[in-house]
Amino acid sequence: MKHLIPVVIALALAAILTSILTLALGESPLHVATVLLKGAFGTPTALGYTLYYATPLILTGLSVSWALRAGLFNIGAEGQMTMGGIAMAAVGIKLSSLPAILAWPVAMLAGFIAGGTWAWIVAWLKVRRGVHEVLGSILFNFLSYGFAGFLILDVFRNIASQNPETLEIGEGFRLSGLADFIGVGGTSPLNLAFLIALAVAVIVDVVLQKTIFGLKTRWVGGAPEFAKRSGVSLSATTLRTFAISGGLAGLAGASVVLGYMHKAREGFAAGAGFVGIAVALLGGSRAAGIVAAAILFGALQKGSLDLDLDTEKISRDLAGVVQALIVLAVASRSLLEAGWLKAKERILSSASDGGR
Amino acid sequence: MDLLIAFLESTLRVSVPLLFAAYGGLISERSGLANVAIEGQLLVSAFSAAATAAVTGNPWLGLLAGISSGAMSGFTFGFLAVMSRADQIVVGIAFNMLVAGFIPTVCRAWFGVTGGTPQLEMANRLNSDTAFFLSALVLAGVLFFALRATRWGLRLKSAGDEPMALVVQGVSPARIRILAGTLGGAIIGIGGVDLSMVQGSGYIRDMAGGRGFIALAALILGGWKPIPTAVACFVFAAADATQMLLQGQKLFDVSVPNSLVQIIPYIATVFVLAMRVSGRGMMAPRAINQPV
Repeated sequence: MKHLIPVVIALALAAILTSILTLALGESPLHVATVLLKGAFGTPTALGYTLYYATPLILTGLSVSWALRAGLFNIGAEGQMTMGGIAMAAVGIKLSSLPAILAWPVAMLAGFIAGGTWAWIVAWLKVRRGVHEVLGSILFNFLSYGFAGFLILDVFRNIASQNPETLEIGEGFRLSGLADFIGVGGTSPLNLAFLIALAVAVIVDVVLQKTIFGLKTRWVGGAPEFAKRSGVSLSATTLRTFAISGGLAGLAGASVVLGYMHKAREGFAAGAGFVGIAVALLGGSRAAGIVAAAILFGALQKGSLDLDLDTEKISRDLAGVVQALIVLAVASRSLLEAGWLKAKERILSSASDGGR
Repeated sequence: MDLLIAFLESTLRVSVPLLFAAYGGLISERSGLANVAIEGQLLVSAFSAAATAAVTGNPWLGLLAGISSGAMSGFTFGFLAVMSRADQIVVGIAFNMLVAGFIPTVCRAWFGVTGGTPQLEMANRLNSDTAFFLSALVLAGVLFFALRATRWGLRLKSAGDEPMALVVQGVSPARIRILAGTLGGAIIGIGGVDLSMVQGSGYIRDMAGGRGFIALAALILGGWKPIPTAVACFVFAAADATQMLLQGQKLFDVSVPNSLVQIIPYIATVFVLAMRVSGRGMMAPRAINQPV
């Protein structure tokens, strides 16, 4: 439990700062907190929505976390998710008559490959052309918006619809809702993709922790010099790590494309890639932490929707502020820990002074 | 011929925010402060400038607000990045996230909508493309000189390359980095003002549209040096101008999809970055993103 202390301090700090902001804008922090909690957990449907929003976050969180394990920063999960989702929609439209038993695994594979390839190019630019992966992956996010727009509006567009969206995917590709399946989630769009995301989290954890492949990946992040001397190729690991990281992000589109809309619409990633960074930083390196952090941010996203209506001064964008404050607090962990130790030392020494 | 002139004119116009953003970023990066938060600082200053001009009806107060809020956001970013001793890139990304949530939140509280500030009337805008462009050129010259021949410039570079050398002289590299972040923020702020009050007529949500990252690419391509950075900015500005010219046009009787036309600047950026040859003297500051 001890390793949770800095996380708790970070969350508390973020809560305090957010309260100050809401007060400054003329809203009661208590009211805002009530709206958030009710909106996120108040009814079975609300809870279903929270888990629905958490689903892509689990996968993008795993994506960012996987790259971090190898010492790489993938901030392109948004673009990789976008490309993965489009690929799923594309196979769902082109192979629409595929039976379910083949259909959704094929779609997931397509999403993984599309996201992975997109990220692999960024890694290639880093390894071969010296383009820093942070800048590369940001630029590729912007590229993905253009390509996605082109594919949605000019290649797979449903001209009968007024929305910027593709044709519908075949029946076999549609993931069923969890309400029909195990009676969870009320009337929310929560679907099988949530369980798939949990399964992927377990697989990722086992691969990273229990296999030689995972060990080598972690060596490259933790002790690159040692990894190199042990014969692990840094550039090959970078390429492979980014491909897998991008593949995981590519799967994140499943929940919305295969499970809910049954098509791809412009902007369907809706920031899940960026929130994945926050999920990975807060959730740490293990699957349980990632899933917990994803649910926390999913709840924040769902709860904040009600802020638009139920408060006068604050909007759903407050969720972004809270996310950023959490990331800042987690990033300053070493400072917080140092402060914590200093304070503890002072208390202990003053106590011992008093005893003398 | 008319087309060529229009193209050049629009290239120079869109180069202005890129130049200021890249120079602000260059100052902070030279001090060892890796700055992926340029985008967020552009947005803060663009918003503050337009909001102030809209409320007071005075464009000069808008300019002042843009520059000072840029400086403040640069200070905040620099302070957090230096004092937390955390990875500066993580802090920069968090800063951008913070801005992305903060501006619409404040915007709703002040103007009732999250999408942007009220439209500025002509009289409340700064109608001075040329003045902004010329000041960017002057800034290039000043920076070129200052980095080479002033004590300030040498200290800035020491903070980025050999912070220990400063410590030996009794100068705090942490202080220099925070100051560089602040000054850089003020300069980025001028770019933000250009976006919302010169080119635009008010703040629109996410109006920087990635220019902060293109500016970062420009200063990397320019080897962290003022003059080559300017060249890189002009190349990207030309790509942006091409994009604007091509929108809705037909090329050889085929209409080019707008979604693809819009990403021409990003394609150009990736392409030029990949072509870069990292020659002598074109390297990153040695102690960039290293805590002091």
